[in-house]
Amino acid sequence: MKKIMMVFLTVFTMLGLLAGCSSNNSSESGSAEGKGVTLTLLHRWPNEPFKGYFDAAIKEFQKEHPEVNFNVISVLNEDYKQKINVQLSSDTPPDIFFTWAGEYGNKFIRDGQALDLTDYAPEGGKWEDTVIPSTLKPFMSEEKVYGAPILMDVRMMAYNKEIFEKLNIAPPQTWNEFMEVLKTIKKEDITPLGLGNKAPWNGGLYMTSLNQRIVAPEVLAADNNRLTGTFTDPGYVKALEKLQELVPYMNEHPNALSREEERSLFVNGQIAIMPLHTIEFPYVKDAQFEWGTFNFPTIEGGKGKESVVTGAPEGFMVSSKTKHPELAAEFLRFLTSQKMAEKWVETTDVISTTKGAVTKENASPIMVDVIKEVEESDDMVIWLDTALEGKIFQPYLSGIQELLNGEKTPEQVMKDVQKAATEVRESAK
Amino acid sequence: MKTNPAVPYLFVAPGFLLVCLFIYYPVIDNLQSSFFSWNSFSPNREFLGFDNYTRIFGDSVFQIALKNNLIHALVSLLVQVFGGLIIAAILEDNIFRKVAPVLRTIYFMPVLISITVIGLLFSFIYNPQIGLLNKLLEVVGLEQFATGWLGESSTAFSAVIAMGQWIGTGYIAMLYIVAIQKIPAELYEAAKMDGANKIQTFFYVTVPQVKEMTFVAVIFTLSQSMLTFADVYVLTQGGPGNSSQVLSTYLYDKAFVDNEMGYASTIANVIFAISIIFYTIQSKILKTGKGD
Repeated sequence: MKKIMMVFLTVFTMLGLLAGCSSNNSSESGSAEGKGVTLTLLHRWPNEPFKGYFDAAIKEFQKEHPEVNFNVISVLNEDYKQKINVQLSSDTPPDIFFTWAGEYGNKFIRDGQALDLTDYAPEGGKWEDTVIPSTLKPFMSEEKVYGAPILMDVRMMAYNKEIFEKLNIAPPQTWNEFMEVLKTIKKEDITPLGLGNKAPWNGGLYMTSLNQRIVAPEVLAADNNRLTGTFTDPGYVKALEKLQELVPYMNEHPNALSREEERSLFVNGQIAIMPLHTIEFPYVKDAQFEWGTFNFPTIEGGKGKESVVTGAPEGFMVSSKTKHPELAAEFLRFLTSQKMAEKWVETTDVISTTKGAVTKENASPIMVDVIKEVEESDDMVIWLDTALEGKIFQPYLSGIQELLNGEKTPEQVMKDVQKAATEVRESAK
Repeated sequence: MKTNPAVPYLFVAPGFLLVCLFIYYPVIDNLQSSFFSWNSFSPNREFLGFDNYTRIFGDSVFQIALKNNLIHALVSLLVQVFGGLIIAAILEDNIFRKVAPVLRTIYFMPVLISITVIGLLFSFIYNPQIGLLNKLLEVVGLEQFATGWLGESSTAFSAVIAMGQWIGTGYIAMLYIVAIQKIPAELYEAAKMDGANKIQTFFYVTVPQVKEMTFVAVIFTLSQSMLTFADVYVLTQGGPGNSSQVLSTYLYDKAFVDNEMGYASTIANVIFAISIIFYTIQSKILKTGKGD
């Protein structure tokens, strides 16, 4: 008798194990069907004021669609970049997910992860009717829309007005003026320029601006395409040399400081100028002094666009595996609507990509200027680390770190990048 | 009483099934994955054969990572295992009887703190402007050595290793303390009668008597060194450049940033192979488990 009991027990344990491994799928879908629908939203803002905006937006949306429940997952930048890959490969990917523009978002489109939203456009029209076309373009592929931009993040040079006034200098417009300004500030024993490059994307974004000024736009566009990228243009080396020129004016040990520490230095008045994203403006609110922004200086003799702003739209895509495409698209239509876009600008002080959302009443003059430029331009210069794919930007970014440490020359850095680009080109064929 | 010959197997079956499911299956699956080029959300898998393996031996970053892992292992063996043994022997000495419990707790404390917290703590210590380390160097008049510890290729990985030792030594010391307490007191008395001094007693009584624990400690530190990830990830993320990259962070970058799952699987297999080689050598050298 005992023996039989034992046999039964063992068998049950084993069955239990197997059952435990396979039952989660069915239970999950069951609960979703029970009461209304659940949409999973993955965004990259666990911090205020952005988190608050999305929470409020969801509540607002639920007023019109009470049957919809939201499961919100929010993770900060670096963690988001990894989480998204894992989540999308699972059987239950988030219905709506955040993405940057450029190769970063293109790979989702290419691999069929993003739903074609063309037919889900706002009532009786096209997405272009509500969204600024130049910001929609990075989310399009072969005339089809795969995502909706929500915001436009712009990288400006922020400067400490007090220091500038004390030294009687004006915000520079050209590279030579910029160097003069840096020299003047350095004489006063203040660190002129900040760079916290521990997470190497920061240095990469300096290069985004520099490349954009020095390299011709059509060359940049070809190099940002994984099928045609070569990075053999001498402008890239020149751009890295320009970065080297800045090193003596930066804080010491740029690779040892984080972006947050760089920001704190600026807020404490210890550095006079730092590149600041519009999306970071809320973080420097505590500064005890007045600060302003200027556009990255134009470079004499550069082949790039003279005064274009460095910035890129960011937005959301809908997973191609979603069970509720209509509702997910409805949420994106809702987010890009005039009403919500204005609310976005009010709550976050970040530029919205919806037409007419940024007005003189609700936004700073800088934002109004920037949005005018965006509306007029037909293309965007996208961040180096989202415009390119990992295989290329990884050696690029680590090369920049080594350049800052004086361990590599611009030529060596570009050689590594060219090698990676060749590999990518061949594998993309 | 006669037992059915199947009974022992039935007892083993649940455990065996678990091990198969969670260890052997992933290992075999991973071996298979390494022959393909694929990413996590694309359905296309392209067969590459041994291409990933030939690529890995020409990969300069992989070489840096492997070298760093070996350095980490060597330093950890010296500091954690040998240092831990010395700390344990000192704490178990009669002279330190009274303070030993307090010191034991202090040495063991880092093991209980989350590695992310420790990482943050150390990145403050290493901070070039407000960091404790640079300030300390200034106070003692060595300010010429002050630097941006995590930002210089020459110091970044050493800084990471140092943090690892700070965490690990107390744990190994604790293991040795337990082992030393089990050594019969007669052995020490006999040694004393024969006129052995403390250092001789240490080498001729303590060290051979804790051999089993040494085996455990060596395996533990080596596998920790081969798998070290969080320290590097929190402190430097492999930078600057790739100077502090280790195998597991490189694997992580390849898998989840570059989306080259096949190549990442290959790296994982190489780590697996190295670990097995280490284990075999150790068990040969230390010849434990046979009793003597």
